[in-house]
Amino acid sequence: MTTSGPLLYARSRALPVTLAALAGTTAFAVWAARLLDAYLDPDRRVPVVALAPLLAAAVIGVSLHTDSAELDRTAVRPWWPRRLTHLLALTALASALLPAAVLGEAHTFGPPAMIRNTLGCTGLTAAAAVLLGARSSWLPAFGYVSAVYLGSAGARGRAVTVWAWPMQPGAQSGAWAAALAAFAVGGALYVVRGARPDGPRA
Amino acid sequence: MSTIRVTGLRVRHRRTLALDGVDLAFGPGVHGLLGPNGAGKTSLIRVLATVAEPDGGRVEILGEDVADRGPRGRVRRHLGYLPQEFGYYPGFTVREFVAYVAWLKEMPAAGTDAAVERAVARVGLADRIDAKVRTLSGGMVRRVGIAQAIVNDPRVLLLDEPTAGLDPEQRVEFRELLRELGATTAVIVSTHLVEDVASACTEVTLLERGRVAYRGTPAALAALGASTGARGDSPLERGYTAALGAHRAPGEVTR
Repeated sequence: MTTSGPLLYARSRALPVTLAALAGTTAFAVWAARLLDAYLDPDRRVPVVALAPLLAAAVIGVSLHTDSAELDRTAVRPWWPRRLTHLLALTALASALLPAAVLGEAHTFGPPAMIRNTLGCTGLTAAAAVLLGARSSWLPAFGYVSAVYLGSAGARGRAVTVWAWPMQPGAQSGAWAAALAAFAVGGALYVVRGARPDGPRA
Repeated sequence: MSTIRVTGLRVRHRRTLALDGVDLAFGPGVHGLLGPNGAGKTSLIRVLATVAEPDGGRVEILGEDVADRGPRGRVRRHLGYLPQEFGYYPGFTVREFVAYVAWLKEMPAAGTDAAVERAVARVGLADRIDAKVRTLSGGMVRRVGIAQAIVNDPRVLLLDEPTAGLDPEQRVEFRELLRELGATTAVIVSTHLVEDVASACTEVTLLERGRVAYRGTPAALAALGASTGARGDSPLERGYTAALGAHRAPGEVTR
């Protein structure tokens, strides 16, 4: 039992469960990369690089939910510093953990692509948390990444690196620009406005 | 000087005008807010709790204009608020939930534990303070909501339907608590239960379609009902009906 404010905040956002889920996602990604024999051909890491960040972003997005949104609005201090810390800390943690699944061959679906996709997917879920509510925040990113995963294989043209950023193998600047823009816009939206209440005042 | 002063308050929900140029002032005491569904009671409470922005008008609480961020933060330290649906964290105990709200109010950490225990005891839940909120009955959860609203000994206490879910004995105890709090605090209670107003409130404000339809003491409202022969099962219900009727058809009944 503790009545320490920051610890109560962490428990109110289910952060212990979130940390465990991020660790579980990493373990799953490492296991999947081995299952795919990715060490033989780095291109086999595509599903891991596309889906593991999506799972991590979903976990982060759901953690943005609050059960007492109405009471939270009466807080004396502005919420944006707590929201910023919450989002950055979890994104940094996911970005540090997930590359462990795809070490080596950095230019072909390696750690940079994993970090880029983690940033982009988290930006999408943060924006969705503001617009739809935290509990449904994983849906748009899931739909987008799934569509790109299934539909970008034969696509050609310079714009592909931008709209199909989750499927780019490495340092394509267009893909990085799109993912960073998604993170910046989604993150800023969430930090300023907070998640849309999921309850009766949604 | 009034604890709360509202001038020309307008609140709009999409196309509906929830509050239409409301002027009100509240000092220490227990103020009942009555009115039909959709009259604007919750909109007024939410604006006073600083969780909703008005579309027009001015709201001063404890001498501060809460439109500005700095004063709003200072005022929030002295506000207690029980929403209709306050939401709670299922894994929290009563102690932890009330302490969480104390943290939101920036109460000094050194005094928080004692303040939490006192607030929980005042709502009669001292023996359940370490029980998970999710294990409590609906009435007990409502009392947890009241405890979080009073943990910071607020100078302004806003309660939206506080007696919903309480049994008759709990309501009697709650009214005693209201009278005790009203001695020093501006307590505003939104309710549909006129008996709560009759026994606990020093003043009653009746809202109808976003406007103030009546203000006065519960006794004066009851007298209005007696003088007009309006419908109702109690003097205050008859007064309520009469005041609403007068507001809807000005000139037929005067006060």
